[in-house]
This record gives sequence, structure tokens and C-alpha cells, in this order.
Amino acid sequence: METRIGVFICNCGGSIKNIDFSAVKEKTAEMPNVAFVSLSSDLCLDEGKKRMLSVIKDKNIDRLVVAACSPDFRKNGFQSVLEEAGMNGQLLSVANIREQCSWAHEGDVTQKAVELVRMAVNRTRLLEPVEKKDFPVNREVLVVGGGICALESALQFSRVGLHTTLLEKNSILGGGSRELEGLDSLKISSMIEAVKGDSNIEILNSAEVLGTSGEIGDFSVSIRQGIEEMSRKFGAIVFASGYETRLVESEGKPAVNVISQEKLAQMLKAPSQKRRPGTIAFILDAADENCRFPILATLNNALAIKERWGSEVYVFCKSVKVDSEGVEGLYRDARERGVVFLKYDNNPRVVAEDGHLRIEGEDVLLGKSLVLICDLLIAEEGISPAEGTKSLSALLNIRTDSQGFYQDENVHLYPVSSERKGLFFIGGCRGDLDLSRALADISSVVIRVHGLLSSGKIAVEVDRVRVDPQKCRVCLTCIRVCPHGATHLVRTGGKEVAEISSLACDACGICAAICPAKAIKFEGYSDEQILSQIEAMGVS
Amino acid sequence: MKGNIVAFCCEHSAYAAADLAAKQGLCYGENLRIIPVPCAGRMDTIHILKAFEKGAVGVLVLGCEEGACHHITGNIRAEERVESCAMLLKGVGMDSRRVGIFNLSPNAAHKFVRVVNEMNQRIKELGEPV
Repeated sequence: METRIGVFICNCGGSIKNIDFSAVKEKTAEMPNVAFVSLSSDLCLDEGKKRMLSVIKDKNIDRLVVAACSPDFRKNGFQSVLEEAGMNGQLLSVANIREQCSWAHEGDVTQKAVELVRMAVNRTRLLEPVEKKDFPVNREVLVVGGGICALESALQFSRVGLHTTLLEKNSILGGGSRELEGLDSLKISSMIEAVKGDSNIEILNSAEVLGTSGEIGDFSVSIRQGIEEMSRKFGAIVFASGYETRLVESEGKPAVNVISQEKLAQMLKAPSQKRRPGTIAFILDAADENCRFPILATLNNALAIKERWGSEVYVFCKSVKVDSEGVEGLYRDARERGVVFLKYDNNPRVVAEDGHLRIEGEDVLLGKSLVLICDLLIAEEGISPAEGTKSLSALLNIRTDSQGFYQDENVHLYPVSSERKGLFFIGGCRGDLDLSRALADISSVVIRVHGLLSSGKIAVEVDRVRVDPQKCRVCLTCIRVCPHGATHLVRTGGKEVAEISSLACDACGICAAICPAKAIKFEGYSDEQILSQIEAMGVS
Repeated sequence: MKGNIVAFCCEHSAYAAADLAAKQGLCYGENLRIIPVPCAGRMDTIHILKAFEKGAVGVLVLGCEEGACHHITGNIRAEERVESCAMLLKGVGMDSRRVGIFNLSPNAAHKFVRVVNEMNQRIKELGEPV
């Protein structure tokens, strides 16, 4: 049976003024395979859709072109009309005659509108249905890490009814947050207790991930715990592996009396300190000015020093970064308690001098250079991803950024997603995050994972992008270029060919463009379908 | 109609930028024909060559900003393809500046219009292709 295309042209409630619609209708009716053309002004409303539905049934139409607003607005609605009529929602093209024709140009644009409709009709003629199928998913979640992000997310997963496994490389839970001064240590220990007491959470201590395979809904993860190795199945994996701090190396810095923030925090916690340092200095921003972490640790530690030791505190920095939640208040408190902040342009010089440290610096606000004799210097620290991040990212085929942190898919739109479906990153392992941002990460990841796994199945388009086994020459190019790890080799009919997993595929079409044998077809954006739109341009 | 400029627009960025341009009341040449692609990396050399065969005077490939590609490497793959295409055009005696690739974010309506206008200006200087 010959294809019968129904074309619905809409003037968007009269907002398209510079197109002669009757002329467009006349021209469209002449196009091959067009069985029906109608003009309306309310396709996006319920009445319009009802009319569409009855026309599809009466006129025996088997695919649809809508010439109206941008597909970004109503494409889904038109697809559901098709589905309601018992057809595949993919058999639809939208000609954007509003945003990319009428509104973008002055004067009469009837000619262009006709061409856009012809492009859409040409494409629609070649469309094939893409079926949707429900795939079962495993409702287990793996959380890698044992810090505050991992604990809190495990608790929240458990609360929404997802069984969670917590995998921690150390023998005890708590992660780096155990040492972070300023974070309520009671809160951490109560969280650890809550996790331990939760029957929905399983804890694997002293364990590490050896490898993963599979795709969203069905990951197999091989885990080593002590000497024992095991393989477990999960629906989604959340990485909360955190970050590490390290002292920034610099030449000529004396080794004595120079310590890290963490060491200082430990000293402050020690019950009795016989010799309390009289003058303490912090140096920040000398190597890396863009890090959020040091100022938070500095302010918390400076306040603790004032409270417990009463020492004099000087902070050398280029700028105090107060964009994190609560830091502005901490800074004000520190100033009120007598912490002195000195702003410099040229890095201060530190030399050892009879058991003390002599810092030669400047204060650009005073416009004067100054010398400070201090007993203890807290050196600058940088942050880096936790040990093992690099090898794990290679194992998972996930990008890292220039500093080695996991790279989020899109920092603004999908902050916790990775380029592989079903793998998520939260907290410090994806960069310099403060606590409030990390907690926001946890909320987003719980919503995302709950949406994916809670019903026990996900609807996926099957074979939207597929490999023709007859044409595949097993050059492995598609496997190399796929950014989502969706391509792999399978053995069929006595030979190995590439195959694309419908679950993992994100429908970008990079493989279809690069395949030297043109063996990959991307339904909806196949070569023929794209070229047919270009063909429409020559005709008048 | 002769004299078209064909723009392959990534649906994650440039296509939205084009929609936004219209909503902001910005105007550009009527000869632009936008073909949506799911990623700039889907665009293939044959698509560009076909456009010229059908009488297009210029081709634009508009993808996501560098480092922000929704499909990670799509915009870089597209760039490689546009470069090789430019060489092919040179080989048949056409000006390689008739094909260009630009990175846009979805809210870059002004940049979209500027890129289209600049292409039109360039085509005007180059004249009709042989």
C-alpha cells in the first residue's frame, strides 16, 4: 500500500501573519504521497488534537507532518496523538514554520514555508517505526564511598525503598569528613549508626571495585573484599568517592613548623596542649586561587584556634571567597574574634629563623610590606581526586577533567550524570564542592535513580540505531568512538559483528556518521532521511 | 530556489538558539535552511556535498560549545569532517570558506544570528559558486 501522509498546517492562533496559508495548502496538496492537507489554528489544543485523530482514522493516514511551532514545544503531544490512533509515534515530522520561518524574517515567507513543508514531507515518507519496549531493571543501587555524601545518599535511597550497597575502601565508615573541622562530628557518627542499623543498606568495608560490565538496569560489578572476590548485580551505580587534600609543594619552604589543615584540626582536638603556639599564620592562594575548599577549612580552624588557644591568627590570601553557604558569616565571626586578613599580590616569602618562622609579605590595602614572626604556619593545600579515581575512570570508560575529577555530563543541566547512563557522580569526586552543594547533589541523584529504577522497568526505544550485520566489517571504529559505551561485539551467524545496546545508546549518531562501511542506520536521522530534506531544496 | 545556506543544527544547542533568536525578534536572511541533527557529530561529508550539489551557496555546521557537547566528542568529530570537506571543496575549485563550523550554546541567539549574517556576507563577497 502506498504511503498516505497527512499534513496539518497551523497558524498558531493567528500568530503567523506573513505566510499565505491557502497557497501553502495548495502547493502541499501537489506533493507526492500527501493524502490530506488541513489548515487550522489550534492544533496544540485538545479540540485540534481530537480533529487530528478523527482525520487520521477517516482518511486512512499512516504518517503525519505538522507545520506549526518548534518541535521543542509540541512534538511529544503530536506523537501521543499518533499513538492514540494506534500508530508508532516516530512516524511524524514537524516543519518549524513559526520560529524558523515566520518570526525570523520580515515580509512574505510563503515560499520558504512551502519548502520547509516539502522537506518534512520528504523525510516523513522515509520514516520507519521505532518500537518501545519495557526492559526489566534491577532495583539495587551501589554507592561507592564511605563519606558524608555516600552515607546520606544511602540513607535517602533506603528511604525511597531502594536496596543499597555501600562499598567503602577503608575498614571504617566516615571518609574524609571524619577529619573536617566545622562539620558536626556527632552528626557523622549518628549517620554511621543509622546506616548500620538500616536493614535496607548493606555495607562492604575494605572493598574495592575491580570491574564493571553491562548497562543501565543491569550492571555486573566485580568486587574484592579482603581476599574474597565476588560479582554482584546493580541497576545503577553512584560514585561518592570524595577527594583528597595535599600540601602544595613550593621551593625553599622550611620543613619545620609547617603543617596541614588536617594536622592542625587534630592538634586542636587533642585534649591538652602543653605548649600553645602564640602566633599562627595561614597562607592561601599562592599556587591555586580558584579553590573553594581552603578558605572554609581556614575559617573553621582559625575560629577554633581563637576559642581553644587564644593565639594570634594571621591569614595571608589574595581574596576571601565567601560564595559557599555560611562562609560570609564565618568570615565575619573570624574578623570579630580578631583574625587578621592580609591581602597580597606577590607571594610571601617564608624563612626559618631560630625556631620561629619569618614571613616577609605585604598588604596591598595598606600599601606596605611587612614581616611577621610566627610559631606555626598552615601551608596551602590543594585538592585532588581520591586515590584510585584515575584507574576507576579508565575501568569505567568515563572522562575526567583537567584536574582528574570525574567530568559531569553537563555541569548546568545534568550535574550528577555521567556520559554513561546509570552511572552517577556526587560530591567531592566531581570537583571542588562545598557541603551545601554536595547535599544538593545527593537530592538530585536520589531523584534521578528513583525515577529510573523504582518501577522495576524502563521503557526504551529498541534498535533506533542499529548495525546491519551483513555490511559490518568489524573495523571496531564504532566501538572506539561511542561516547556512551553502547557499542560492543557479538557473535551471530558464525561471525563477530558490532551491536548497539538499545539501553545504553543515547542516540547521537556519531557511529552512523563515522562507519566506513555505512553499516549503521540511525532511524529518524538516516543518510537517506537527511539527504531527502536537502533534495527538497532544489524543487520549486 | 538557488542561493540557500544549509545549516546542520545540533538539537541540543544551535536549534534551540535559532528558536530563541526568533522569540527575541532577531531577523536573519531568508535563504537559511535548518536541518536538525541530534548531534553535530551525526553530520557526514556526503550531507555537505549534497547541499552544494543541490545549489546551496554555503553550509554551516552548528554544534555545542567546546567541552560542553551533549555527546562528549560530537562537536570535535564534526570539526574534523568539516575540515576534510573544506579540502574536498578546494580540490574541485570551490572556496573552502563556503563551509564553516561554529560552537553555540542553546541561549546564544545573538551569536546564531551573527554567524548566519557573517556567512551571508562572506557568500556575497565570494559570489555564485561555479
